[in-house]
Amino acid sequence: MDIEKDKKISLLLEDLSSLESYINDIFTFSPLPFCFISPAGVILESNPSFEKFSGFTFDEIIGKSVEDLFDNEIIEKILAQTEKKGIFVGQEVDFYPKDKNNLIVQVFAKARKDEKGNFLGYFLGFSDLTKVKKAADNSRRALMNILEDIREARWRAEEEKNKTLAIINNFADGILVLDSKNRFLLINPVAEGFLDIKKENIMNKSVSEIPSLKNLLGAKKKLLFRKEFKIRDDLVLEVTAVPVAREKARIGTLIIFHNVTREKLIENMKTEFVSLAAHQLRTPLSAVKWILRMLLDGEIGKLSKEQKEFLKDGYESNQRMINLVNDLLNVARIEEGRYLYALALTDMEKLISPILDHFKEYCQERGVGFIYKKPGSKLPKVLIDAEKISIAIENIIDNAAKYTLKGGSVTVSLKCDKKNNIEICVKDTGMGIIESQKKNIFSKFFRGANVVRKETDGSGLGLFIAKNIIEAHRGRIWFESEENKGTTFCFTIPIKKK
Amino acid sequence: MAKKILIIEDEKVLADLLRKRLLMEGYDVTVSLDGKEGFELLKKVKPDLLLLDIILPGIDGFEIMEKMIKDKELSKIPIIIVSNSGQPVEIGRAQKLGAKDWLIKAEFDPQEVIDKVLKQIGK
Repeated sequence: MDIEKDKKISLLLEDLSSLESYINDIFTFSPLPFCFISPAGVILESNPSFEKFSGFTFDEIIGKSVEDLFDNEIIEKILAQTEKKGIFVGQEVDFYPKDKNNLIVQVFAKARKDEKGNFLGYFLGFSDLTKVKKAADNSRRALMNILEDIREARWRAEEEKNKTLAIINNFADGILVLDSKNRFLLINPVAEGFLDIKKENIMNKSVSEIPSLKNLLGAKKKLLFRKEFKIRDDLVLEVTAVPVAREKARIGTLIIFHNVTREKLIENMKTEFVSLAAHQLRTPLSAVKWILRMLLDGEIGKLSKEQKEFLKDGYESNQRMINLVNDLLNVARIEEGRYLYALALTDMEKLISPILDHFKEYCQERGVGFIYKKPGSKLPKVLIDAEKISIAIENIIDNAAKYTLKGGSVTVSLKCDKKNNIEICVKDTGMGIIESQKKNIFSKFFRGANVVRKETDGSGLGLFIAKNIIEAHRGRIWFESEENKGTTFCFTIPIKKK
Repeated sequence: MAKKILIIEDEKVLADLLRKRLLMEGYDVTVSLDGKEGFELLKKVKPDLLLLDIILPGIDGFEIMEKMIKDKELSKIPIIIVSNSGQPVEIGRAQKLGAKDWLIKAEFDPQEVIDKVLKQIGK
């Protein structure tokens, strides 16, 4: 019996030892600091981690009051609560180690009672929040920095926006911005002045709601480029509309209004001057023409052959001047818009007849063939300014005849085309137009380089005037040409149905 | 008796040319270089034909025509106006005020003048 008892005791002692060892290992290993405190608050046991945190050695710390390491009142309260409730979890308190700065820790405590319920003391442990706190602090600081950066970026953006707005508001031209649905996004003071509208009245309204603008901008605002509009008697604007895009998506339209009133005024002054000057020149030129005519006709006495020759040159020279002055006057009148006058229903065949006779003779004198292709059937009458259309036809045939060399030919055709237009074509086998100069052919004062060499005389206004006349009748003029082979000029005049 | 023509034209060169040409044709010609003076002459001379410039110092051609319409005797005198520009606007207005024909200053043709004068009053 004793042997069994001894064996049992032995086994129990072994277990106990194992257990002790186990507990000790845990105790020593735990990275979390904890200690055992007597009911009076004296540290009875402490694990190595606790010692490390406290800065005291094992000998120093055992027997210390727990109040030395914490704030007195706080730890008292905690221990009281622990005793009452049996457990305490998680209050942040300050922990004061020996020679170091205080840490912030989270305290846990548990009361120990024996089987009979006697209070033995407390387990006290804590987790160091310093790192967490520091991390939290760092996070907060980083966040503050980011906020600071954002604030600065926003401030800079505002500044940029203010700067841009200041530029737009003080811009000398009018600026208008529409969104993708043609509602007003932005208008600057100059534009407000031009269009006689106030920003407050139009913001977010659609363009179509403002009648004055609707007429101005119309439906095709995307195609405006430096188009002139007369807004009032004292205001002419040059308007350009440009699409605004961001990453290939159209987000709106930018419209710019440029005041060209002064330019227009100057242009008008120039035209008036030309008109006036040409007028003043005409009379003396006519007087000279008349005097020379009278002399040549022998009305002031008989002339010798030599005298006649000289006077003839003078007469022709004078006539050239008269023609030039007339051309200048016509150009000035075109620019003033005072050109077309007497529209009347005209028979084109009758109109063209004397012109053809004149040029037939002219061509024959120069050894150039002249052919007329009549219309297949009777042409309807067309509403035109007969005098001006005559000028246009004459100018075109004149070019054909002038720039075709001996042996060549000029063919004039008149017909009514399928789209109910009168069509006149003048085809020659002359010097043609140099490829690179084709785009300038209708420009004022333009003369082809190849023809200038041949004939230095010529105002360069013939086609400019012809084109203006035809387009004023809502017709169209075009040409085809090959250098040294020939040129064909064609134009159409629509027959308007009454 | 030769037919009388009164020329009211402010440009001396032109007035002279007209006068000489018409004299050669056998007409009796009086010239005035000023509108007001010319109008006075109308009553004095009582011409068979008036060659009237539109743009004149003092009163212009249109005003003279307007005055002539109002006067019983003067309204009978045929007028050929001498237009500076030949602009249809000008000619249209002159015709409304009673001008029978016109000459365009800048494109004077001596023969044209004679033809038009003949047409109005004969030799």
